[in-house]
Amino acid sequence: VTASAPGPSRHGPPYRAVVLGLGNVLCSDDGAGVVAVQRLRQDYLIPDDVLALDGGTLGLSLLPHVCDAGHLLILDAISARAAPGSVLRFDGDAVGAVLSERLSVHQVGVADLLVAARWLDRSPRRVALLGVVAASTALGFGCSAAVEAQLPRLVRAAARELDLRESGAGP
Amino acid sequence: VTHIVVDPMTRIEGHLRIEAEIEGGVVTDAWSSSTMFRGIELILQGRDPRDAWVFAQRICGVCTTVHAIASIRAVENAIGASPPPNARLLRNLIMAAQCVHDHVIHFYHLHALDWVDLLSALSADPAAASELMRSISEWPRSEPSYFASVQARLQSLASSGQLGLFANAYFGHPAYQLPPEANLIALAHYLEALDFQREFITLHAVLGGKNPHLQSFLVGGMATPVDPSEPAAITPATLEQLRGLIATAVDFVRQVYLPDLLLIASHYKEWSSHGSGVGNYLVYGDYPLSDEPDAALFFMPGVILDRNLDLVLPVDGSKITEAVTRSWYRYAAGDDQELHPSEGETTPEYTGPTPPYDRLDTDGKYSWLKSPRYDGKPMEVGPLARVLVAYASGHERVRTLVDDALGHLGLERAALCSTLGRVLARGIETLILAEKMRDWVDELAAHIDAGDLQIHDASRWEPASWPAEARGAGFHEAPRGALGHWVNIVDGAIERYQCVVPSTWNAGPRGVAGELGPYEAALLGTPVADTDKPLEILRTVHSFDPCMACAVHLFDASGNALAEVKVQ
Repeated sequence: VTASAPGPSRHGPPYRAVVLGLGNVLCSDDGAGVVAVQRLRQDYLIPDDVLALDGGTLGLSLLPHVCDAGHLLILDAISARAAPGSVLRFDGDAVGAVLSERLSVHQVGVADLLVAARWLDRSPRRVALLGVVAASTALGFGCSAAVEAQLPRLVRAAARELDLRESGAGP
Repeated sequence: VTHIVVDPMTRIEGHLRIEAEIEGGVVTDAWSSSTMFRGIELILQGRDPRDAWVFAQRICGVCTTVHAIASIRAVENAIGASPPPNARLLRNLIMAAQCVHDHVIHFYHLHALDWVDLLSALSADPAAASELMRSISEWPRSEPSYFASVQARLQSLASSGQLGLFANAYFGHPAYQLPPEANLIALAHYLEALDFQREFITLHAVLGGKNPHLQSFLVGGMATPVDPSEPAAITPATLEQLRGLIATAVDFVRQVYLPDLLLIASHYKEWSSHGSGVGNYLVYGDYPLSDEPDAALFFMPGVILDRNLDLVLPVDGSKITEAVTRSWYRYAAGDDQELHPSEGETTPEYTGPTPPYDRLDTDGKYSWLKSPRYDGKPMEVGPLARVLVAYASGHERVRTLVDDALGHLGLERAALCSTLGRVLARGIETLILAEKMRDWVDELAAHIDAGDLQIHDASRWEPASWPAEARGAGFHEAPRGALGHWVNIVDGAIERYQCVVPSTWNAGPRGVAGELGPYEAALLGTPVADTDKPLEILRTVHSFDPCMACAVHLFDASGNALAEVKVQ
């Protein structure tokens, strides 16, 4: 867990890209998206027109960061019939499908966040999800070995997608 | 191509499960259960207490800031750090902004659909909606053309199957009673509230406080500098920005939220006789108004017992206990014990059914929440508790707003102890808190003018300055109610950590003697018109603002399943 990057100025221009790491770092692999975005910030130069955010599980409070983004890239743990640690990419409407199931209609999650942006006519122009298949979401700080081993792939995939250059600070 | 099946991940918000028995169209018994274990206490053991808040703010996906402040205060209390006046003001502003933001979201985005039938808004007359709006508020966005455009947007989203947030609401349920025009007004403000909350929460970014997670707290004070000569710090220009955001909030709450609340309440007055609950209320108090240890608190502390709304008792922290008699934990000295949080234990022991299951063992242990008690009694916490305590303690602004609202609705003060009363109290406290924020900005400005730029007490930062053993407690009146963290520090590391959170007070299970928890008690007698769509149960549960998603399972008197509703 580390501090977050500085955010957008209130009246600044919309970001070319927003990369949002999601999940809970206290539930092992559930926090993989958050860990990934932290590594991305460590290992790559984040230009002024890109926002890399640890979104945690904040749901609707993330709305200011999602509205008007050029390209919204979500990093998240997913459950899928694939080996733990597999990195999968989803585009457009498929993102909504992956994230749409929620515990309740009133528990405003990421799918709702995207719908809320649409209601306001401020949707991101493009949405994609890079997901890593979780091995365990049990209580505990830190990812499983299977996911940890593949996190560099997830981070590299995100960096490629956003055209980021390495900072040289990384490993 | 590999065929991949994708399932959602479950977030830590966890899962609130309500089981209820229905007889003759009303709830005759109810059980409230959390089906997800939250064990922050175990994760914090052995860590540096100065880092605890960073972990604590991840306990609950939607209550981040509130756990951070409670944790910081617990550690400060243990090691004897005293945050300076500027830190108090910055914290008050950050926490108040969180509360105002959460209450607006709760009303419009989490609770409104329990009262508002959006599909009915399609048949509203925009001109009549405009007239109705102008009769209840000065809010400028009230043109017939505005309401017509909102209606058109609803129509287009409805016909393209994109109702999204609303997809699972119980449209057309017989318990919806608002006229179409009121439903249309509520929809318009649902959308305006999205914009409002998006703008208002930038206040946290302005204070360097949260973006989107808190980063500017520090044991002993704040990490955000207050300095007129430093552009990255809090300067007089920053304070002007804050004043603008706060003015927007006061206008929105006064001219939109409260008029909507009273309009909706006037069509649902019978809900002032449902959902009464345990009738005991607990408020730790919060928002210190000065810097002495016994400073007056803007949210006044107090205890009200047995609905005696004129008698406020002082809070005695030693009377707080937690039991696990009906919870999936084990206590070393036996499960019939009630332990003070400073002696609390978190030893999970799941004895419930293997999922998927139809019914919990409601005669035995049935929840991951413990049963908090005050002097052995279940207590309701949250906005209603705060408003009742403030009213009885003579808080002028609360009295005025409560009397106005009750007068408008033709209700007595005792009617506040209800589902409707919880919703009213939340709106009233949103306004008084938004208004009060202006004073804190003024105080901060005065300090800066006077050259007081101190934000941190570093005298207790080094563990060498701490006693070998230290115990502390930290409290916060979170949007959802009284929150407490207890920490024991041994040789500079956390030895024991316990949190008693608002949703545990309200949603906890039966206690040692079998007495019902607040949700459980509040559901007794609730009418249920359609067991497939238990909208009325959701109204009462949501009036408490649970931080967990809720599933409702209904059974008839002989235990046969009537309905299983996962929509919350």
